[in-house]
Amino acid sequence: MMVAATIPGTSERIELDTTSDISRVWQTVVWNDPVNLMSYVVHVFREYFGFPRDKAERLMLAVHQEGRAVVAQGAREQMELHARAMHDYGLWATVREAPQ
Amino acid sequence: MTDRLVVLEITRMEAVHLAGLVTQFADLLTETTDATPDDPALARLVPDAYADDADAAREFRELTQRDLLDRRSTDAATVLASLHSVSGPTLVTGDEEALTKIAIIELDADTLGCWLRTLAALRLVLASRLGIVDEADHDDTDPRFGIYDWLGYRLDGLVRAAEGD
Repeated sequence: MMVAATIPGTSERIELDTTSDISRVWQTVVWNDPVNLMSYVVHVFREYFGFPRDKAERLMLAVHQEGRAVVAQGAREQMELHARAMHDYGLWATVREAPQ
Repeated sequence: MTDRLVVLEITRMEAVHLAGLVTQFADLLTETTDATPDDPALARLVPDAYADDADAAREFRELTQRDLLDRRSTDAATVLASLHSVSGPTLVTGDEEALTKIAIIELDADTLGCWLRTLAALRLVLASRLGIVDEADHDDTDPRFGIYDWLGYRLDGLVRAAEGD
């Protein structure tokens, strides 16, 4: 391996790694639970994500009927912020890498 | 959110009961661990953020758990302050007339947020204590379900007010 022998080679390799990491898409998933009210979940989606009412209702129904819904996609850090915010509201949310 | 005030009408009896529940809830939040809380009700408030990656879940928990629980304590304190403004510390539980009197609580947008989060969290804690695992779990003869339903009724009313319905 010649890459490790020189500093320029090393930094180039790091840069490539970083680029490929950023390009990965992550998701925030909200899961169904038997406790949170439908009206409350719609309110949370509208207030936090700024979704229009019909989108918020559609996502709430997806959570309720299918057991979960992807509410956001993007960089991992951003998805973690969203999950934290959902926990703050009492919703059950997880972060995952988008299925290929 | 606007600077609109939401007006909550509540009997003093409800305010006293709710203050009792929120006080118990606040006591539950004194946990300071960075690990998953042993109490399942508390654990529900700070769920794993990664379903299949224990290391990532632990790291997320270490970064967020204390803040989340602190924020819940602040929310609870705000709700208690609203309730104490109408229930008063000197209220005697035998005084029927005073207890059924309707009091008005005005909630600005921030305070309303504290109320919504606290009522939702209180229901999660109660549901955990009652063993509610699906929506059909309900025992009409158990008075604790009455409290659970009442909290849901109050939460739904405030959500509607927040949404401007």
